[in-house]
Amino acid sequence: MDNSGGLSISPSKPTVFVGMSGGVDSSVSALLLKEQGYKVVGVYMKNWSKDLPGMKCPWAEDLADAKRVAVKLGIDFEVWDFEKEYFEKVVEYMLREFKAGNTPNPDIMCNQEIKFKLFYEKAMARGADFIATGHYARVIDGKLARAVDEKKDQTYFLYRISEEALAHTIFPIGGMLKKDVKKLAEKNGLHNAYKKESMGVCFVGEVGMKDFLKEYIEIEPGEIREIETEKVVGHHEGAVFYTIGQRHGLYISGNAGEVNTGLPYYVVKKDLEQNIVYVSRNLNDSNIWTDELKLQDIFLREQPKKDLQVRLRHLAPLIPAALEGDTLHFAQKIKKPAAGQSAVFYDGEICFGGGVITE
Amino acid sequence: MIYLDHAAATPVSKKVFEAMKPYFAEDFFNPSAAYLPAKKVSADYEVAKGVIAHTIGAKASDIVITAGATEANNLAFSILASGGSCLYLETEHDSVRKVAEKYGGAPVGVDKNGRILIDDLKSKITDETMLISVALANNELGTIQPLSEIATIVREVRFDRLSRGIKKPLYLHSDASQALNLLNVNVARLGVDLLTLNAAKVYGPKGVGCLYVSHEVKLNPLNYGGGQEMGLRSGTENVPGVVGFAKAVEEATKHLNGNRKKYAAWRKILLSELVDYELINKKHSLDNFIVLCYNGIDAERLIFLLEEKGVYVSTGAACAANKGAKSHVLAAIGLSDSEINGSLRLTLGETNNEEQIHEAARLINEAVAIERGRNG
Repeated sequence: MDNSGGLSISPSKPTVFVGMSGGVDSSVSALLLKEQGYKVVGVYMKNWSKDLPGMKCPWAEDLADAKRVAVKLGIDFEVWDFEKEYFEKVVEYMLREFKAGNTPNPDIMCNQEIKFKLFYEKAMARGADFIATGHYARVIDGKLARAVDEKKDQTYFLYRISEEALAHTIFPIGGMLKKDVKKLAEKNGLHNAYKKESMGVCFVGEVGMKDFLKEYIEIEPGEIREIETEKVVGHHEGAVFYTIGQRHGLYISGNAGEVNTGLPYYVVKKDLEQNIVYVSRNLNDSNIWTDELKLQDIFLREQPKKDLQVRLRHLAPLIPAALEGDTLHFAQKIKKPAAGQSAVFYDGEICFGGGVITE
Repeated sequence: MIYLDHAAATPVSKKVFEAMKPYFAEDFFNPSAAYLPAKKVSADYEVAKGVIAHTIGAKASDIVITAGATEANNLAFSILASGGSCLYLETEHDSVRKVAEKYGGAPVGVDKNGRILIDDLKSKITDETMLISVALANNELGTIQPLSEIATIVREVRFDRLSRGIKKPLYLHSDASQALNLLNVNVARLGVDLLTLNAAKVYGPKGVGCLYVSHEVKLNPLNYGGGQEMGLRSGTENVPGVVGFAKAVEEATKHLNGNRKKYAAWRKILLSELVDYELINKKHSLDNFIVLCYNGIDAERLIFLLEEKGVYVSTGAACAANKGAKSHVLAAIGLSDSEINGSLRLTLGETNNEEQIHEAARLINEAVAIERGRNG
């Protein structure tokens, strides 16, 4: 610090540690911070490196992409190894939840425990003034707010990050449209401007979830029953692998002598004790629809108004609802999300909290 | 483009490519088939094998074609499947190291130049030792090993075992993948019983290699099937690959002395025009290897800066390309982590010319200056 003159002018540039994944969003974030005059340190968080059946983990390629951009920008770059912590805080939580019959969201947990906790704390300890990520979200007057690009808004995944971390976080691309992010990357010669985005949870796509779980949870064959008739219509490899509302991946064949209506079956109920998965062809089944949701682990940044808007999935439409205690009431019936997923609360642009849906 | 990573891969030369072409879509027949056109393909294949074999002073029937050097190295170690232990140089390529570890092999140390510690080798040979594996030239440092000196030791051990009535044989294996276009590789002169070659390092196709096997060595097949390659490597013959391999070997040996002189001269230019480095492979190195240390610099950053300028080099650092693992070779010759992190490997080859060498020196100096300036 320069104390000469007694004026409170900080001569040194503020330092920001930016999480760089190798994708275009965090790369452009680093670029913008550099242009804005920050001292920027790029960090690749190594959270997972193991290959999975049918899926090669691209961590080394992603790391190289991130570093390549850092070198191009002329900023410092480090690799922070959080594999152990990621496994303990995110993967074990996930497995625990699945075993309990729930459908957890690892991205939300990763942001809460890794990116906006461990990464934040380590960066601050290293002298950071701020951290930054390539998330599509904004901070308006200290409040978490939806991104300008409606199709990319990631606040659903960020609702549980701590107030303290949020106060020290910059989302450099939250005010931009994805297409402009790509253009800016291209204009600045960033090689990953059109790199394919990783989809779904941090390290395994939605399709790969069952394969991933099978690495850690033993298969346990059981029956698939039609809920209306209790008739066995097929067999499964373990009720824990199924999600309420799920349509794909059910090994059901039409029984001989019976007319197969051709309508798909949906998972409507799981009996973990008996290891039975209940399905229905009836999309009006009462197990699928509800007008209220009970929540737990509610996280609030401010006291909610009685009427709010709720998002039940990443990028799902905002639905008006009323919060009473730990229960959300809806004016119309909604398709019931799986237990373990989050209901996230909005007041217009502002994302002020949320909770985890229970049975 | 200035390509300075010929130890990693070489482009297939025009002559090799031309030689291979007919065997993809015209002379495509299975060499095992009965009709005459197939017999012609079979004959061409045997001729190609003969060319490869003669280059190293062997006969076609002494070599087993494999899908590259890794497979050849693994096949060499298959003699241990029926018992016996092995020794390997600690700087060996993973395709030797990992299989040796699988058989419980013990590593033999190297000095600061990467040369085998002969006394360490002697002290580790027991009556159970059946195989010793030492690469002719190291793939990261270019260090040339005193193979015939090691062969002499092996012969002494054999005589000693005979005099004591011990039947267990002792064989010497060498991976000569990196050396074929720079050294005279002759199995008798080197005194090896098993020798690995690789087409991909000498301007031939990738995925083709071979193992020379002396007559008394009894190997165990890695895979089973139609019994090709004397039953040691079943699978339909890779005719275009082997024809290309033969052409590449022919070319490599034809220009041996010219290549060495040329690379030595370029190496000299680089060492005089580059600044601010320490040379790692000072002695006993192949002429086309230049391994530098820029202490305090992250060499992977240099790779990315140089890549922007079209210059391609490699490093032994614990970088993404190395899946986060630092070079066991550089660690074995006693370099610190920070020295390994700052290591840059340049390997010269046929894609280069003198003008490129001057330009490369200038661009590398520039990249190093950028990184030093950023840190300073």
